[in-house]
Amino acid sequence: MPHPSNTALLQGTLDVLILKVLSLEPMHGLGISRRIAQVTNDTFQVKPGSLFPALHRLEEAGWLTAEWGESETNRRAKFYRLTKLGHRQLKQETENWSRISAAMANALEIS
Amino acid sequence: MHWLKATWRNLFRRALVDSDLEEELRSYRQLLEDEKIQSGADSATARREAAIELGGIQMIKEEVRDIRRGSSLEGFGKELRQSIRSLRRNPGMTAMAVLMLALGIGASSAIFSVFETVLLRPLPFRDPDRLVELVSTWHELGMNEVAFSEANFWDLRARNRSFESVGLYHSDEANLTGDGQPERVSAPRVSVDFFRTLGVAPILGRDFSANEDRASVAILGNKFWKSRYQAAAAVLGRTLRLNGATFTVIGVLPPGEPWIDDQVYLPIPYSAAANRSSAEFAAVGRLTKGVTADAAQADLNRVAASLAETYPKDCKGVGFAFFPASRWIAPATTGRALRILLAAVALLLLIACLNVTNLLLVRGLGRQREIALRTALGAGRGRLVRFIMLESLLLSAFGAGLGLLIAHGTLPFLRTLDIRGLPRLDEVSLDPRALAFAVGAALITGVLCGLAPVLQIPDQGIATALREGNRQAGASRRQGHLRSILVTAEIALAFVLLVGAGLLARSFQALINEQRGFQTDHRLVFSISYPQSYGENGLGKQFIDRFLDELSVNPDIVASGAVSVRPVQGPNYGMGISAASRRSNAPPWAGWRVITPGYLRAAGLPLLHGRIFNATDKPVSAERGQPEPAHRTVMLSAALAKMLFPNEDPIGKHVLLWNNIDAEVVGVAGDSLERGLDRGPALTVYLPYGRVALPSEFLLETRDDPMAVVRAVRSVMARLDPSLPVADIRTFDEVVNRSISSQRMNSFILAIFSGLALLLASFGIYSVLSYSVTSRTAEIGVRMALGASASGIVSMTVRQGLRPAFLGVTIGGAAAYALSGFLKSLLFGVRPFDLITYAAVVVLLLVMAALACWAPARRAARTDPAIALRLE
Repeated sequence: MPHPSNTALLQGTLDVLILKVLSLEPMHGLGISRRIAQVTNDTFQVKPGSLFPALHRLEEAGWLTAEWGESETNRRAKFYRLTKLGHRQLKQETENWSRISAAMANALEIS
Repeated sequence: MHWLKATWRNLFRRALVDSDLEEELRSYRQLLEDEKIQSGADSATARREAAIELGGIQMIKEEVRDIRRGSSLEGFGKELRQSIRSLRRNPGMTAMAVLMLALGIGASSAIFSVFETVLLRPLPFRDPDRLVELVSTWHELGMNEVAFSEANFWDLRARNRSFESVGLYHSDEANLTGDGQPERVSAPRVSVDFFRTLGVAPILGRDFSANEDRASVAILGNKFWKSRYQAAAAVLGRTLRLNGATFTVIGVLPPGEPWIDDQVYLPIPYSAAANRSSAEFAAVGRLTKGVTADAAQADLNRVAASLAETYPKDCKGVGFAFFPASRWIAPATTGRALRILLAAVALLLLIACLNVTNLLLVRGLGRQREIALRTALGAGRGRLVRFIMLESLLLSAFGAGLGLLIAHGTLPFLRTLDIRGLPRLDEVSLDPRALAFAVGAALITGVLCGLAPVLQIPDQGIATALREGNRQAGASRRQGHLRSILVTAEIALAFVLLVGAGLLARSFQALINEQRGFQTDHRLVFSISYPQSYGENGLGKQFIDRFLDELSVNPDIVASGAVSVRPVQGPNYGMGISAASRRSNAPPWAGWRVITPGYLRAAGLPLLHGRIFNATDKPVSAERGQPEPAHRTVMLSAALAKMLFPNEDPIGKHVLLWNNIDAEVVGVAGDSLERGLDRGPALTVYLPYGRVALPSEFLLETRDDPMAVVRAVRSVMARLDPSLPVADIRTFDEVVNRSISSQRMNSFILAIFSGLALLLASFGIYSVLSYSVTSRTAEIGVRMALGASASGIVSMTVRQGLRPAFLGVTIGGAAAYALSGFLKSLLFGVRPFDLITYAAVVVLLLVMAALACWAPARRAARTDPAIALRLE
C-alpha cells in the first residue's frame, strides 16, 4: 500500500501549515516538521530540503522571526515565532483555504 | 523597513548568515539524532539515519541562499566575475566571438549614424513643417517648376495672405580680394527676411535689418567663417572686398544646410523697379500657423491671377506652387538606398550572431558535464540561465565596444566621401542616438546569442547528462539538428546579401557600360565666370573666339568647345518645345544648351543629319535695343528630333522654342546621357552662341593626360584677360564618376558587407562541420576498421555537410526573390530576378560550403582507426 506521505505538497500548503503550527507556540525546525506530520495524520512529512527554504522564505517575508534558544533536550536550537504580520497572513490564508477546500469538496462531490 | 534590513543583512553580513544557517542545520541533525536515540537506536545508527533524513546539506544551503532577497543582487557580481573568468579560460573562442560581433555591431552603427545624420536629423530650421520652397510655373509652356522673377516675388510677398514671411535667394559668386589670398566665393544675394523665414538666427552679430543699406553689409556662412577667419569673433565689422566693392561683416550664421551653407550672403533690398521677365531667383516661405496646403495653394492661385491681370505681358500663364521643406533633406532614392544598406548590415549582424551562438553551443557541449555537476550540486536552472546569458551579453558588450571603435575609425573615411544625393555626410558622427543604437544592438545580439545555448540546458535527466558528458559523440541529436539549422540560416542570410550586392554590382556595371553618347576619356572641363561687362558690346564673344582659337593651335589639344551648362553635373535649364506645324498644349520638356560650333566634336557627339552651327548662326534672342532676329536656327538631339518629327526628316523643319518662338532645325546630333547615366537619352535643343549668349563651361579633348594642358589653358587666359578666374577644373571622367558616386558607394558597401557575410558564414559552416566530424572520430574509426575507404569517408562527410547548405541555398533563394523587389528602384539595366546573379551566388555558396566540409572530412579520413577507437 503506497504511503500517503508521497503526496506532493501543494505550493503554499507548506507555508500555511508552518504558520499554523507556529501560531500556537514558538518551535524549532524539527519540532515544526514533527508537528506538521502529527496534525496532518502523517499525510505530509516535511523534509529538511523543503522545510528550511520555506522557513527562510517566510522569515524574509517578515512573517516569522527566529532566535536561538534551548530545546526540550537542552540542545541549542533556532526557534521560530510568528510575527504580527504572520498572524495576519495566517488569518487570510485560512480564509482562502476554507473557501478553496469548500469549493473543491463541492466540485468533487458533484462529479 | 523589513526588506531593507533583510537585504542589508544578506548583502553585507553574508558570512554571519551563512554560519547561522550552518549552525541551524547542525542543530537540526543533533535533534534528529537525539530523537533516534530516544526511540532506541544506538548512536552510530542514529547518526547515520539522521544524516540520511537530513539529505543534501549543500542543496539546502543553495536553495536557502537563492531564496534570500538580495541574493540576486549579490550573486550578480559574483556571477559576473565567474563569467569573465570562464571567458578568459577560452581566449580563442572569446576573441573570435567578440571580433565577429564587433564587425557586425561596428558596421551597423556606422551605417546607422549615416542613416541618422542624412535622413533622421531634422533640418536646422525652426518649425520645418511650416517651411516650403516656392516656385513659379508656366504650365502652358510645359514648365512646372521654374525660378522666380524678382518683381513677381515682391508682388507675391505683398499680396499673399497665407505666408508668415517669404524669402528670396539668388545664387551668385564673387571674387574676394584685398584680404589675404584672393578667393572665389559663393556670394548669394538674399532678401533681408530670408533667414528669418527659415527660422535661423546668426550665432554672432545680427541679421539683415528691414531696410538694409544697399550693397554694404554681409553675413558669413559658418564653414567659411571657420576656414578663412578661424572662427574669430573679431570678424564682425571687418571689411570684405567682393568684385571690387566693399562690404562690412555684420553677422555669422550657424552651421547647417541647405540654404545657409554658402560663404558670404549679401542683401537684396526691395526694389519697385525690379525685373519681371528674368527668372533666376529661388524662394522659400513660411506658412502662417493653421494654414493648410490647399488653402495656401488657392491663395497663390489668386495672387497669380491678379498678377496676370496687372501685368498681362509678363505674367499671363504664370502660376505659383510650393513643395514641403522635407524635399531638401535627401532624394527618395537616397532614403531607399540607406534603408537597404541598414537592412543589409542587420543581416550581417544576424550572421555574426548565429556564429557566436554556434561557438557558445560547441562550448556548451564541452561543458555539459560541468553543467550537470552544477545542477546536481543544487545550482537552480535560473542560475544556469543567468550564467549563460551573462556570458553572451558580456561577449556582445565587448563586441559593441570594439565595434564602436571600428565605427569610429571608419567614420572619418565616410565623412570625406563626396557622394551625390547624400547631404550632410561630413557631419556624420557617433552621436548619442548612434550610441543608443549600438547599445540596443548589443543587448539584442547578446540575448539572441544566448538563446539557443540556454535552451540546451538539461531541464531534467541530470543523470543522462552526466553519463553522456564523456561521450560527446552520442551527445544529443537535438544539438546536431540545432546546428544544422544554424548553418542553413547562415547560408540563407548570406544568399540574400550576396544577391543584393550582386544585383547592385551588375547595375553599376550596366551603368558604366551604358552608351553615353559623349566621350569622357582624354577630356578636360573647366568653367570661366564672366564679369558683367562681357555681356555688352560683344566683349564676351570676342573673348570666347580668341580663347578657342588660341587653344586650337596647341598641339596637345585636339578639339575644344564651350557649352552653357556643364554636362552631367550642371543644372538643367529647359523649355517646352513643339513642332511648328502642330503646336502642342502640353509640349515635351527639353533642356536647352548654348554651344559653340566646336562643342559637339569636343564632347565626342556625332552629327547625324544636317550641319553643325557656323558663323552665320546667331543667338535666338536679340541684343538689348536690337530688333528680334528674323531667322533663328537650332540643332536637336536625335531623341528630341524623333519625338517632334516622327518618320520625317527634321532638317529644315521649324520648331517653337518655349512653345512660341519659331526656329529652323539645321542639324541633329547624336543622343547623349547628358542628364545622368541612368536617365536615358536627354532631350536637348542646341542653341547657337553669340554676343548675348555666352557659354561658360569649356570642354577640351586632349592628346594625352587632360590635366597636363591646364597650365597651357591658364597661360592663354592670363594673356587674354588675367582678371578672369578659371574654376572647377576636372577631367570629364571625374565629372561622370562623381555623378554615379552614390551607385558606386551602394554597390561598394554592399560588396564589403556581403564579403564579410561570406567570410562569417564559411567560418560558421567550417566550425560546425569540423566539430561534428571531430566528435564522430570514433564512428569514422569504426567505419574505416570495417573497410570504408578514405575517399568514401570524405564524400560521406561532405555530402552530409552539404545537406544544410542546399537547404540554405533554397531558402535564401526564395527569400532573395521575395525581397529583391525592394531593390528595384535602385537597379539599372538588371531585372530583380537576374538569373546570372542568382546562379553565381548559388555556385559561390555551394563551393564555399563544400570547401568548408572538405577540410575536416579529409582530416577525419586520415585518422588512424586504432587511435580513433581508443578515443572511445
